[in-house]
Amino acid sequence: MNFNKSNRFVMTMTLAALTVLCINPLSAQTAWPKKGSSVQLWIGYAAGSGTDAGARLMAAGLEKELGVTIVPMNKPGASSQIMYTALAGAKGDGYVFGTINFPSAIISYIDPDRKAVYTKKNFSLLALHIIDPGIIAVLPDSPYKTLGDLIAAAKANPKTVTITTSGIQSDEHFALLQLEEMTGAKFAFVHFSTGAASAMAPFMGGKIDAYTGNVADVLAQHKAGQVRILGVMDSERTRFYPDVPTFEEQGFKLYNSANRGFAVPAGTPKAIVNKLSAAMKKVMDSPEHQKLVEDMGLTLRYLSPEQYSKFWDEYADNVKRLLPLSKE
Amino acid sequence: MNAFSNLMMGFSVALAPANLLLAFLGSAIGTLIGVLPGIGPSAGAALLIPLTFTMEPTGAIIMLTALFYGTQYGGTITSVLLNVPGEAASAITCLDGHAMAKQGRAGTALSLAAIGSFMGGLFATLCLVVAAIPLTKMALQFGPVESFALLTVGLSLMMGLAGKSIIKALMMGVLGLLLAMVGLDPVRGMPRFTFDRLELMDGIGFIPIIMGIFGLAEVLSNAEDGFGTMKLAKMSSLFPTKQDLKDSVGPIARGSLIGTGLGLIPGMTGSAASFLSYIAEKKASRTPEKFGTGMVQGVVGPETANNAHANGALIPLFTLGIPSSPTVAVIMGAFMMHGLIPGPFLFQEHPDIAWGVIASFVIGNLMLLILNLPLIGIWVKILKIPYGLLFAIILAFMIIGSYSVNNSVFEIGIMVVFGIVSYFLRKMDFPMAPLVLTLILGPQMERSLRQSLEISQGSFAIFIETPLSAVLFAIAAVILIAPAFKSLRKGKNSISGEST
Repeated sequence: MNFNKSNRFVMTMTLAALTVLCINPLSAQTAWPKKGSSVQLWIGYAAGSGTDAGARLMAAGLEKELGVTIVPMNKPGASSQIMYTALAGAKGDGYVFGTINFPSAIISYIDPDRKAVYTKKNFSLLALHIIDPGIIAVLPDSPYKTLGDLIAAAKANPKTVTITTSGIQSDEHFALLQLEEMTGAKFAFVHFSTGAASAMAPFMGGKIDAYTGNVADVLAQHKAGQVRILGVMDSERTRFYPDVPTFEEQGFKLYNSANRGFAVPAGTPKAIVNKLSAAMKKVMDSPEHQKLVEDMGLTLRYLSPEQYSKFWDEYADNVKRLLPLSKE
Repeated sequence: MNAFSNLMMGFSVALAPANLLLAFLGSAIGTLIGVLPGIGPSAGAALLIPLTFTMEPTGAIIMLTALFYGTQYGGTITSVLLNVPGEAASAITCLDGHAMAKQGRAGTALSLAAIGSFMGGLFATLCLVVAAIPLTKMALQFGPVESFALLTVGLSLMMGLAGKSIIKALMMGVLGLLLAMVGLDPVRGMPRFTFDRLELMDGIGFIPIIMGIFGLAEVLSNAEDGFGTMKLAKMSSLFPTKQDLKDSVGPIARGSLIGTGLGLIPGMTGSAASFLSYIAEKKASRTPEKFGTGMVQGVVGPETANNAHANGALIPLFTLGIPSSPTVAVIMGAFMMHGLIPGPFLFQEHPDIAWGVIASFVIGNLMLLILNLPLIGIWVKILKIPYGLLFAIILAFMIIGSYSVNNSVFEIGIMVVFGIVSYFLRKMDFPMAPLVLTLILGPQMERSLRQSLEISQGSFAIFIETPLSAVLFAIAAVILIAPAFKSLRKGKNSISGEST
């Protein structure tokens, strides 16, 4: 009985695999999307990650909007580089699109150590979806009351103020490097390569002076009054902490966020790109999508393919300049 | 007393029929995910989240948390029966669990594991109700420096896993540490030993390795004897004897403490908890040499510990809103998608949800116990399948399992290579447990060491200047030196024994 069960399971899995392989129609440019067709969404991070959660919400919305089946597939590994490599080599027929994260998409081809086989040219951007601005926080009893205090201390005694990042070359790391470049301060970085969440406990335990993360990382702690957020790295205050000033308000023109969008392989017909992008915009305008994303502490920010591409170039310039510093 | 009345209120929420049903569903799906190798609790929970959007938040979270600790029950089943760990935290159970199965005591192993898991989960939940705040404060004492010291204690216990030869155990331990070095350097960002394979950038996958080491190697050595039925003793009763239960009391107590404690400390995984509990049992035993040959303690201890860890890891989530493991992060995501922020405020703003979910832990664990005990009779029938057929099923099972970790064929290759290599290593009497232990502890150890040195700007003095870490290092030193004195004393005794 159990043998039959397992056997059936193997058969089902094989059938499922075959179905996935066969479903992609070969010529589809004419009327995209074909009725009843399925579109694959490749996700560069594991199931359960922030990127995964956002992408799956988008997939659900697009299904309604386009009347197709969206099949989310996780292709995690090497900070999404495995998925970018696959996406760059995929067929640009509109039946595959993937997640794009900054800075991982950009660093992977700018940093020669990462040996990426693609550049920006291999992708055609669809839309920016979610941003999560950077923040710096300290404990409530910390001597640093403002961003200015923290920076002054890191300037007066270089490399004594410890501060977390969510890993080398993460958005937090680049933001801090830019802040150092701007102010002449020198922090002692403590890299938590397994992510901002793993830095939270040592920070809350008072082992590290300051915490760099994103808005969504400290919702609970802020609400309970367990942290003091010194500033938000965005051009406007975040609706989640209306009382917290931006960096700009405090005289530091620093804007940084973890941000996620979508792209198709280069060579995908322009009509399909525009149609997908417009459908994404519609999903992002729907109240139910907005509620789900905002409950996670994230901010929706749509950028059209052209705006997104310009954003990429600006980000890449920053990364190119700061990359040598990140390896010091 | 206040906590008690809150808990009673929680029970009234958790016992609502709909929530009971969801706790049951979560437990059952969790058991299934535990049985299927490859799909871990975090992927399982993540895939289920979209289904919960239309549910009440309380019910949704009850289901997802039940799934999380349910996997710890399920993972044991394949470890014991097939020597294939269904889940990373159940890997160590293979050693004695599968040996028990070969002696015809698979039923006993599984029922004791289920009882241990239940007790462990119950203990951790009690800790959450009674002492969540002080326990969290204690756990916050563990920064990178203290974590490194604690992991050093764990590593010094590696000797406890040595078989006949200490040298061979050390060699395997070092090999494990070397394998743990593969991947992107956590501080410099340089790829190490990756041979330009992107798949190795994040390190070698742990699940494929243990599936190869335990599962494939076992299949290969069984295949040596031809494809008849597995050589099994006659199946004895499914239920543990009085002696078995007596033997389980100590392991359950120690496993509960170790599991809950490590669950509180961020970065410590369920597999670390089960491994350290196994070593603790071996140390506590009067017959440590019998471990690996089907000792009840070697099954109950780790299984108690991994479930205590699963429930204990939820404590920092409730007290501080800190997810201490990837799976807990997924559960935290589920809270947030339902508009709830886990953390101290949850108890004030939504006491019904917070206490309802906590009460559901007790109910869910009880359900898992009830669900698992009768099923054992069915599970052990797997062993009656002729080995030639079972061999093929296990192989297919492991291939699908390795693939499904990252949806990547590369992981299947890893599983096969490690299976073949460890088949030969086993022939040469190299113990596999030290390798797995260092593979578990290695990455976290490296990260905390380098974080500590980033805090101190390169000075090793930080490990002695931090009181807690100094104490832990002293303990590690005693553990390493003690056996030398012991053998010295034994030597004297035997001499005096001869002279009289």
